[in-house]
Amino acid sequence: MIYIFYFLFFGFLLTAIIGLLASWIDRKVTAKVQYRVGPPLLQPLIDIVKLLGKETLIPAGSSKITFLMAPVIGLASVILVSTLLWINNIYPAKSFLGDLIVVLYLLVIPSISIIIGGFASRNPLASLGASREMKLILSYELPFILAILVTVIKSGFTFRLGEILTFQAQNGAFVRSWSGTLALIVAIICMQAKLALVPFDIPEAETEIVGGPLIEYSGSGLAIYRLMKNMLMFTVPFFLIIVFIGGLRLDGIHLLYGVLKYIGLVALMTVIRNTNPRVRIDQAVKFFWGPMTIIAIIAIILALLGR
Amino acid sequence: MNLTAQFFKFDNLSIFVGIFIGIFFLLITIYSFGFMWQRKKLIYYYSYLILTFISSLGAVFSNNLILFMVFWGFLGFLLYLLIEFAQTENASYTAKKAFIIIGGTDALMLLGLALVWRLTGSLQMDEISISLNTKVAVLAYMCLAAGAFAKAGAMPFHTWVPDTAEDAPTPVTAFLPASLDKLLGIYFLARITLDMFKMNPAINTVLMIVGSVTIVAAVMMALIQHDLKRLLGYHAVSQVGYMVLGIGTGNPIGIAGGLFHMLNHAIYKSCLFLSGGAVEKEAGTTDLEKLGGFGKIMPITFITFLIASLSISGIPPFNGFASKWMIYQGIIKTADNGNNLWIIWLIAAMFGSALTLASFMKLIHAVFLGQPANEQPRSNEVLTKAESMINKRRETSPTMWIPQVFLAVLCIIFGVFAYRIPLKMFIFPSLVEKIEFFGIWNASLATILIIVGVVVGIIVYLLGTIRKTRETEAFIGGEILEKQSNMRVSGTEFYNTIKDITPLGTIYGLAERKVFDIYHLGSIITFGFNKVLRYIHNGVLPTYLAWCFLGMIILFYILLR
Repeated sequence: MIYIFYFLFFGFLLTAIIGLLASWIDRKVTAKVQYRVGPPLLQPLIDIVKLLGKETLIPAGSSKITFLMAPVIGLASVILVSTLLWINNIYPAKSFLGDLIVVLYLLVIPSISIIIGGFASRNPLASLGASREMKLILSYELPFILAILVTVIKSGFTFRLGEILTFQAQNGAFVRSWSGTLALIVAIICMQAKLALVPFDIPEAETEIVGGPLIEYSGSGLAIYRLMKNMLMFTVPFFLIIVFIGGLRLDGIHLLYGVLKYIGLVALMTVIRNTNPRVRIDQAVKFFWGPMTIIAIIAIILALLGR
Repeated sequence: MNLTAQFFKFDNLSIFVGIFIGIFFLLITIYSFGFMWQRKKLIYYYSYLILTFISSLGAVFSNNLILFMVFWGFLGFLLYLLIEFAQTENASYTAKKAFIIIGGTDALMLLGLALVWRLTGSLQMDEISISLNTKVAVLAYMCLAAGAFAKAGAMPFHTWVPDTAEDAPTPVTAFLPASLDKLLGIYFLARITLDMFKMNPAINTVLMIVGSVTIVAAVMMALIQHDLKRLLGYHAVSQVGYMVLGIGTGNPIGIAGGLFHMLNHAIYKSCLFLSGGAVEKEAGTTDLEKLGGFGKIMPITFITFLIASLSISGIPPFNGFASKWMIYQGIIKTADNGNNLWIIWLIAAMFGSALTLASFMKLIHAVFLGQPANEQPRSNEVLTKAESMINKRRETSPTMWIPQVFLAVLCIIFGVFAYRIPLKMFIFPSLVEKIEFFGIWNASLATILIIVGVVVGIIVYLLGTIRKTRETEAFIGGEILEKQSNMRVSGTEFYNTIKDITPLGTIYGLAERKVFDIYHLGSIITFGFNKVLRYIHNGVLPTYLAWCFLGMIILFYILLR
């Protein structure tokens, strides 16, 4: 039962609140970059509440249950990942071996839910967008796994998030070493693709395929996808903070550091997204399988050498 | 010594494989009642099925290697006969190909048997224990392993699997290459690796190389296929890689993972083939270009296919994840030996899993979701009730969907209760060494949490205005989908981007010219010899006379010298 509490409180509520705040920061900074005023603090929440009140349209001839259930599965998996991460962050001893791999796998499910939802829309634009999302997963997954393996090597071959955290608490965060820095850079760029932010917003590409997989979603379904994406804006950076920058500590001055780490990552994402044009999907695949993979391999070699 | 004990052996491993052979035989027979309905010569078909069942049991339970080889060879022949039941043009070619590849490796196995006899003087499986320190021992192991690889479909003996999958009747594919041949091949690999030979790190590395290459190469081929069954066939190859990789780790957790994956693979792959067969029966084709939109017509088949494809992609909490996760643990464990190759194996396995997911997303789109290929000429109004009732009726007959549903339910049960049911009952007892788990992926708890998450999602839906939904036409920038036939996205072209990337494009080109096909290479070599001989036999009398004359001269020269 205690897990259900964690699940609902940390995994859902806290993550959602922080995610909505992060999305506000992102929008505000973007507005400042573009010489606009930007939205008020509660705008992301207001958006979702407003969407919940709107009519839900279902494209004709689509398979209705798949179309409506896809967002829910995505949301459930995001909540599950963030619960796992929170439990590990608060009680490192509670982690089980291999939870790193479980997290990596679970982080793919939100993207799958978007893909299945897009496929179920019975709209060619949605299909195109969803297929791009799939190719994007293929491309970033390789360097992402390699980058995460760097932390495994550095922490003495453990696949336990808790042990990675305790190791960093004793020996300093991995980002302070050469290999850690390189791996973190790769991981941040992969995160940009994972969150489908510019320059890797190829699946959604509003100006080109009108939102891609989300084109047919409206009302409640869209609200859930929005919530899921906002929550991912917390979950993925949180994962990187845990494996690379020593996690978030909730006591005293460390809380401030933790908040700074997170805001730093969000600000970085926002800056990248505001200063780059969108790339094509084949460019993205080449970019991730080429330079990014090579940098990640270099990081692994450095890590094996103990740098 | 009584005869039974001499020739047959019933230990936990063989009993476990035997039980599942029985289950698959039952399911496939039930399915065949629906699928093979109104075809000719069914009496032969069912008797071949029964013979296959009996000889698989014989192979699994036999303790004498000669007896094992007899059953094993008989299975190859039955496969040949069963493929011939197909109604496609290529069937006889495919049957011949499968027969030659399997028969050829059977010959290698006989050579291996002879070497084993020479080394130990015994052909009883439980008496043999060879350490791999001489070249002869390594050769014997390789010969026997080649047989196991060909049966299971690991590279480089894999090429008969996709062809068979494409041409053979679907229940045959689901029965032999997808489930029984995997069970038998990996069973035999486990037998020789665990019982008959004492492994050393070098041979383990060879096994792991074979596994990793099989995973990645086969799944890359699967990405670009245009045929439902052929695509599934390539996955039947790719998944063998995980099993070989698991057994190749050489530590108990990896081996248990490999065996568990063998079981899981047999379950979800036959589920996939059976669901694919249901679609084939309904649509009359397996060409992905011509399929689409079957999710609404065949909801049961869609759900079973979806569950099985999430399982094969290793999505938690289904069974594929449980076994892959054990294999990963095994791979990580090999890091204790001090070499860093484990990174490569791990990357191959994890990335292969992402590629698997990608190709199944393509399949799900092309077959079940997306736009139907032959649009019924209807104006842009919503389907009427009567029409959708007609569509509903097109779900397959119960004899076909009952096996599918059974297998899909097994996928869920073996994933969620992995430690309580399959591992405890079948896998752990069949291994001699004790398994030390370093961590339990608590699938049941995760499932409960996912269900709670789904409930949260549904509550969010209910907070909104979900009760008042409305159907509309899809929005494509103001165009009308039905009028624009060229706007259909079938899904076959999804990964052309990847196909065009520089080094991969060349490799795909070579693969399409069958450069990596051992059968094709073999036939080139054989016909190359033929060409030389054919040149001599040109059918012209003076040439033959000249040869006779030449022979006489040589003969006289030797005799009268």
